[in-house]
Amino acid sequence: MSIAPIGPVGPSATNAAATPLTSSTGSASGAPGFASALGGAVDDLQQAQATSDQLNIKAVTGGLDDIHDATIAATRAQVTLELFSTVRNKAVDAFNEIMRMQA
Amino acid sequence: MTFDAIGVAGTGLTLHRKWLDAISDNIANINTASPTSGPAFQARYVEAQAGEGTSGVYVAGAAFGSAEGRMVYEPDNPLADAKGYVRYPDIDLSSQMGQLIMAERGYQANAAVVDRAKETYQAALEIGRS
Repeated sequence: MSIAPIGPVGPSATNAAATPLTSSTGSASGAPGFASALGGAVDDLQQAQATSDQLNIKAVTGGLDDIHDATIAATRAQVTLELFSTVRNKAVDAFNEIMRMQA
Repeated sequence: MTFDAIGVAGTGLTLHRKWLDAISDNIANINTASPTSGPAFQARYVEAQAGEGTSGVYVAGAAFGSAEGRMVYEPDNPLADAKGYVRYPDIDLSSQMGQLIMAERGYQANAAVVDRAKETYQAALEIGRS
């Protein structure tokens, strides 16, 4: 049984690791970075929750045309929050996995 | 748009709600008499139009029933003309009741789609969790 030797860490690998996570310009390939994607998701979530809040206020003050508009907005906000929380948990899990790595 | 199935079902809910409103108005006015000098109450019919692509359904406008109505001989009615006639709207109650059931079931079906779509998206979020 033979074990393949681990190659030396090249400059390409170190460059990728050195790219700051908070960079809004994205990775070297031009794809949007994780931080900007997360920021966009936060914006979407806030938008969904604000819409739901406005419609809930309309519902109790009597300015609501469609009942389902309020319930659909609440559903959207709930699913968006669950999506965001799932992505966040995955990211934290990945971070913890990396932190557990031993030399 | 995100969670599009929920939004598309929302347009269906809106359409059926408006249809329900129109039927409600038609049934409420089914016995509304008017003088023969003016038009009878005209039944309102909602016109549906499919949205572009998969964007759902929208109300294109409303069509109205006969303004002539039914001429009914009611000489005791204060609205009656010299010959004793008044106009009643030409609305068929059984047709309206049939449409009422269709509008109700359509609304319920679209509401069910919203729930199922939500469950589907939640199932997608459960992938790889355990």
